[in-house]
Amino acid sequence: MTVSTSFAANAAMNESPTFPLRVVDGLTLPPDYRKALRPGEEWKDANGYPRQLPRYFYEVPSWDSAMKVELASHFLLWEFIQVDVREAPPLRTFPRYVPCAITLLAVCLERFREAVGTMVHISANGGYRSPSHRFSKNATPHAWGTAANIYRIGDTYLDNRSAVERFSLIARQTLPGIWTRPYGTPTGYAEDHLHLDLGYVLSVPRDVKS
Amino acid sequence: MTEKQAPARGAPESAPRERALQTELERIEKDSHAKAIAVALRDLETGTELHYHADRWFHAASTIKVPILLGVFAAIDRGDLLPHSRVHVRNRFLSVVENVPFRVESGRDANSAVHNAIGKMMRVDELAYHMITTSSNLATNLLLGVIGPESVNETLSALHLKEGIELKRGVEDELAYEKGISNMVTADGLLRILVRLAEGKAFSPALSRRMMDILHGQEFNQGIPARLPKGARVAHKTGEISTVAHDAGVVYLPKRKPYVLVVLTEWDPDVSGRSRTIATISHTIYEYLTQNPRDE
Repeated sequence: MTVSTSFAANAAMNESPTFPLRVVDGLTLPPDYRKALRPGEEWKDANGYPRQLPRYFYEVPSWDSAMKVELASHFLLWEFIQVDVREAPPLRTFPRYVPCAITLLAVCLERFREAVGTMVHISANGGYRSPSHRFSKNATPHAWGTAANIYRIGDTYLDNRSAVERFSLIARQTLPGIWTRPYGTPTGYAEDHLHLDLGYVLSVPRDVKS
Repeated sequence: MTEKQAPARGAPESAPRERALQTELERIEKDSHAKAIAVALRDLETGTELHYHADRWFHAASTIKVPILLGVFAAIDRGDLLPHSRVHVRNRFLSVVENVPFRVESGRDANSAVHNAIGKMMRVDELAYHMITTSSNLATNLLLGVIGPESVNETLSALHLKEGIELKRGVEDELAYEKGISNMVTADGLLRILVRLAEGKAFSPALSRRMMDILHGQEFNQGIPARLPKGARVAHKTGEISTVAHDAGVVYLPKRKPYVLVVLTEWDPDVSGRSRTIATISHTIYEYLTQNPRDE
């Protein structure tokens, strides 16, 4: 991992000296962030089941840092936090906050990349997005940092049944327990990307005190 | 007063010239074999106006992108958007008919820049530029997806520009088209918007200028600009589908205030000569406005 000088300095203050981002308890963030992130709150999924939102986040100080932090050998942090104008305003500027489980997703995608043998592209709004994002009508693993929408693999755009189903099968064969959205147009299906997720995983870093 | 009788408004002694212009437009319409032609004109130099079938409704085609541009800049004016706000480029939209998903065909857009960004993000001002200058349908639907048609209509109402503009949906919503749900405009409706822009009175002079700058970037110049002299600059928006061809713009000539001209035309699908007809009308209007009556 390439760690810039500033990251190295920050790392000295972090619980994990090998990872350059500071862990923050979402409950200690300023009110506008808490309102957008809703740390630790319950949120119902499309079936009405309550899910507990993440409480612990990595703080991303700048876009420059997001461009440098490797979450896996072939995945940088910025790829997971591209959100557009539909994201809540405080979460479109830095510092940004991303659930700690994002690292698990990155490891899974790295393994998936090895299986497909080429570059895997996460779409805008297709990595982490907050529960306040305009796309987030019900609880979605995107708000846990454990879902990715992949729109392109190598030179193949995943905008047709053949491509989506082919790579969906590879993902399920490669990543035990992964969930992929079926191809189709109704709500709950996807026709222009491959959605895969690990479910509603909460990651509580080991050194968190509360 | 019927449309065809509606004369240009100017000094009393110009009435014969107005009648001559009226006659000339009727001749052009007849010779063109168009199903219908409408022309609206306002000269900001002299106050001259012309309204020829100007309240007849036409399918808007891509001229609807002018009101959408206004809606985008209304959102910028309100602070809901910034010119550099980013928008996810995704080719998936929902029809106004039963929310059926549809896509914009890449072959219909004159440039590939927006389609090449699928999966990524583009700035609002980039999308607005592509929406107007190369009439990108994908950019149009993306912007409309962010602000919503209802927001555009509210903006038009607030600015008293709603009359003559019916925005109901995004573009390439074929299911809606088959159901007869289309965006519609009149020549007068588009004229009012362009006059507001040309006068610098849309939100602020600075925002009006930015919209005019975008319209100045128009790359399709076979209509209004085609037969104007070299010194003319035209900020305009074209629109064409199988049954209509339009051009609506602001014409800047040296040493005078601009004039605003809208030409809407409707055709049988197999009839040609559309751009030529619009260019001829534009040239006729140009001569009418620039020739000194005493020279005749």
